[in-house]
Amino acid sequence: MKWDFNSVFANTDALLVGAVGTLHIFAICLVAGLSLGLVVGLGRYARAPWFRWPATAFVEFFRNTPVLVQILWFYFALPMLLPFEISPLAAAALGISLNSAAFSAEIYRGGIQSIEPGQWDGARALGMGWGQAMRRIILPQALKRMTPALTNRAIEIFKMSTLASAVAYVELLQQGKLIASLNYNPIEAYTTVAVIFFVFLLPMVQFTYVLERRLRRSE
Amino acid sequence: MSYRWDFTPVIANAPLLAEGLVNTLKVTGVSLACGLAIGLALALMRLSRHRVASWPAGFVIEVFRTTPPLVQLFWFFFALPLIVGVEMTPFLAACVTFSIQSAAFFAEVFRAGIQSIERGQWDGARAIGMTHGQALQRIILPQAVKRMIPAFMERAIELMKTTTLVATIAYADLLFAANELSQKSFRPLETYTVVALIYFFVIFLASQLARLLELRLARSGESTVH
Repeated sequence: MKWDFNSVFANTDALLVGAVGTLHIFAICLVAGLSLGLVVGLGRYARAPWFRWPATAFVEFFRNTPVLVQILWFYFALPMLLPFEISPLAAAALGISLNSAAFSAEIYRGGIQSIEPGQWDGARALGMGWGQAMRRIILPQALKRMTPALTNRAIEIFKMSTLASAVAYVELLQQGKLIASLNYNPIEAYTTVAVIFFVFLLPMVQFTYVLERRLRRSE
Repeated sequence: MSYRWDFTPVIANAPLLAEGLVNTLKVTGVSLACGLAIGLALALMRLSRHRVASWPAGFVIEVFRTTPPLVQLFWFFFALPLIVGVEMTPFLAACVTFSIQSAAFFAEVFRAGIQSIERGQWDGARAIGMTHGQALQRIILPQAVKRMIPAFMERAIELMKTTTLVATIAYADLLFAANELSQKSFRPLETYTVVALIYFFVIFLASQLARLLELRLARSGESTVH
């Protein structure tokens, strides 16, 4: 068996297109997932049942179903109910974003709950309303504690982006598949894709280790 | 726009879905058992003082934790057979991938669990004449494993969700059965909705069980690791 990466390097532009696709869907899901997660997380913490109940149902449903099933549901099933088609990007981004929203909601909830009640009392004593206290006092402190968990979520989102290839969205793995089938070089093609993901994600993973250690020391 | 729901094709093909669910559980079970065994070995290697053992273990753990599972699956299914010259079935590729992948995560749980046991326990074991291996097997692991149960359950549930990836290499799991059925019946909405609900019920049940166990452990004053 002779390894020959030339056939992969000859297709660098295809991989670049894939990398752009991966970064594109990653950015969408990161922003949409983490911000929707904050809303749902607040809902999970809320006292009003009309807010808490839907948020709980959302979290339970999306945490307890596989994300690939969600993506395929949005791609194949949802268009039956809609008067228009759903693009691979839209289906994959919907699945991954909603799934990440459910998981990050629990991070936000845990972070907010970890703040001592005295902080709420203090904010109220200063005449702050619930929203003001949350925005100016509670969330800034909670966010600091949540950073490692949220960076871990970001890494998960990056890894999940490969599932978009199941609906033929053009990203790194999809391009690797294409290169492998055109050049009959699955070993080199898939190894390259794996190495690209590893090289890109390793600094992020190391960064979360540092964050976790620093947080443990400061608490 | 009004859509007329029709579940009859899905109900008529219930055996197909049932078979898919059994295959899903099969892959999950095999990968879970192998993953736990390999994970323990990796953790012991990583905790070892000798670099020849700890370094490779650390490498395997990092690689499998930081690359996407779908990339790993494709690599084991499409690339590995050409390197070693052996035919790979989708089932085998899935079991190998998910065993090593979950082992990488289990290894970190084992490591945290073993490290959470007070040093006095090691000293005590040595004082009554036990070797390192005996102390680990009889004193340390039994205590550590109890603390690790919630983390193991959580990981097992993640594993089950990850097994849906095997549908992309045409192993007849529950999701693959859904793909087939929806193409055959032209009823994707009903098929995928039912399959999503099946996954939900199985995984939700497992999650509740995990939560119950964690509560009971917490009530008995047992600290847990994550």
